[in-house]
Amino acid sequence: MQTLKLLSAFFKVNVQMSLAYRADTVVNILLNLMWLGWELLSLNIIFSNTETLGGWGLGELIALLGVFRLVNTMMIALIWPNTEKFNQSIRDGSMDYTILQPVNSMFLVTFSRITVWRFWDLILAVVLIAVGVEMSAATTTAAQVLTFILLSLSGMIVIYSLWIVLIALTFWFVKFDNNVTILQALMDAGRYPATVYPAWLRIIVTFIIPIAVATTIPLQALRGELGTVQVLIFLLVSFVSFIVASRVWKAGLKQYSGASS
Amino acid sequence: MFLIFKRLWQVNWAEQWQYRANLLMYLLYWLVSPIIYLAVWTSIANVKGSVNGFTANDFVTYYMVLLICDQVTSNIIIHTFAYKIQDGSLSGELVRPIHPMLTNALVNNIAFKILTILGLIPIWIILFFLFKPDFSGASFVGVLLSIPVMMAAFIIGFLLSATIVSLAFWTTRVYSIHEFYFALILLFSGQFVPLPLMPQVIQNIAQYLPFQLLLYFPIQLILGKLSTDQIVLGYIMAGVWLAVAILTFNWVWRQGVKQYSAVGA
Repeated sequence: MQTLKLLSAFFKVNVQMSLAYRADTVVNILLNLMWLGWELLSLNIIFSNTETLGGWGLGELIALLGVFRLVNTMMIALIWPNTEKFNQSIRDGSMDYTILQPVNSMFLVTFSRITVWRFWDLILAVVLIAVGVEMSAATTTAAQVLTFILLSLSGMIVIYSLWIVLIALTFWFVKFDNNVTILQALMDAGRYPATVYPAWLRIIVTFIIPIAVATTIPLQALRGELGTVQVLIFLLVSFVSFIVASRVWKAGLKQYSGASS
Repeated sequence: MFLIFKRLWQVNWAEQWQYRANLLMYLLYWLVSPIIYLAVWTSIANVKGSVNGFTANDFVTYYMVLLICDQVTSNIIIHTFAYKIQDGSLSGELVRPIHPMLTNALVNNIAFKILTILGLIPIWIILFFLFKPDFSGASFVGVLLSIPVMMAAFIIGFLLSATIVSLAFWTTRVYSIHEFYFALILLFSGQFVPLPLMPQVIQNIAQYLPFQLLLYFPIQLILGKLSTDQIVLGYIMAGVWLAVAILTFNWVWRQGVKQYSAVGA
């Protein structure tokens, strides 16, 4: 209950902040539409030259684009702005105030900045997924849709946990400003099925910076390519990675010694 | 004048060298997209034999050369200059008797470029062994001919970006306009895919725009894929756009400086 109250308070504050730059918001939405146009055009270019990409049809790639945008919305609406605030707070010591609050500090660090207008992207993502699934001729069962949703969420949890670990490293190495660049850089790899990448790149995006776990793998579930055991393993992985991340976060907090004071 | 450039070089080189870790991160960041496009298109070409005449090796060599051309011809002044107009810190540079954009910003960009190219070399060699491109089609004459084109393309790209950055004299913030400009480059330069694979409309327009000079034209020149006619046309386009870019930038800059109100300073 308290959590919900806090979330709505954060939301209100961020709406107010973005209302100060109304023209900016409109322009950003237009640019966002432009990039959607580009993404669809690039898929059109690919599929005017081939029928399948690594065995996947146009519909499936549109659905993948939807899933990618889902993850990307989480990154742009929450992760990047909060990283910026977090890095700043480590440098100038304002992290002190965050820790003093009687609320879980990981929660505060995750939600205190929200790029509100980005939420309309979620609708767009859902539409893309629905259209893509509709277009791909394969029949989808309710169970497949359910595992798809579960694995999308668990994939996002894996990426979120990795983010927590990366920023927590800043507690040990204060000048670690590039803490999320590697995550940012590899995001784009989520646009296409990881199965078409060369083995070394596939290993990187599956095991090291697991973008594919949140994009390719949920879609494989939707295509009915994953067995029950595999699905359970991915769910377990996301559970374990979240536990590990919160442990690392706590250890990092103990390491934190403030700045200048 | 030479002495000024020499001193600016020393300062900017030292400054960029200090940020070498950031530079490496930037390189990694920038590298991912071309490698993904490479993987996507080679996988298609491997299945189909060839795509519109492009074999898997054609795609590998195209994107491998693209990595070099992009580093040579691209520029970063949206990141190094736009904020100076926005927060008014340009004022100090404007009172000096040298052009802020064409001396300091330019030298800074070149220092950045040389360092990133040095960083790219080992990465490029690793990628060479991972993808094993066959460069036997590349022509030595093409490589020689591509050098003046890439230098001209860098200047054209620099001046066009500088023009867009100068719009900040009126609008204060130019990041959105620049993002739109960036999309134009993506569409017309051959960054996503060699231009012959783009829809016909885009190819027809791209021919007359400066953006293909940044990537598609020099890449194909190096790979020995262009006819003499196409090379001559490319050189003419480079000359014309160089003139257009110089005139446009000069005009916009002059009007802009008159308009400048030193916000915040």
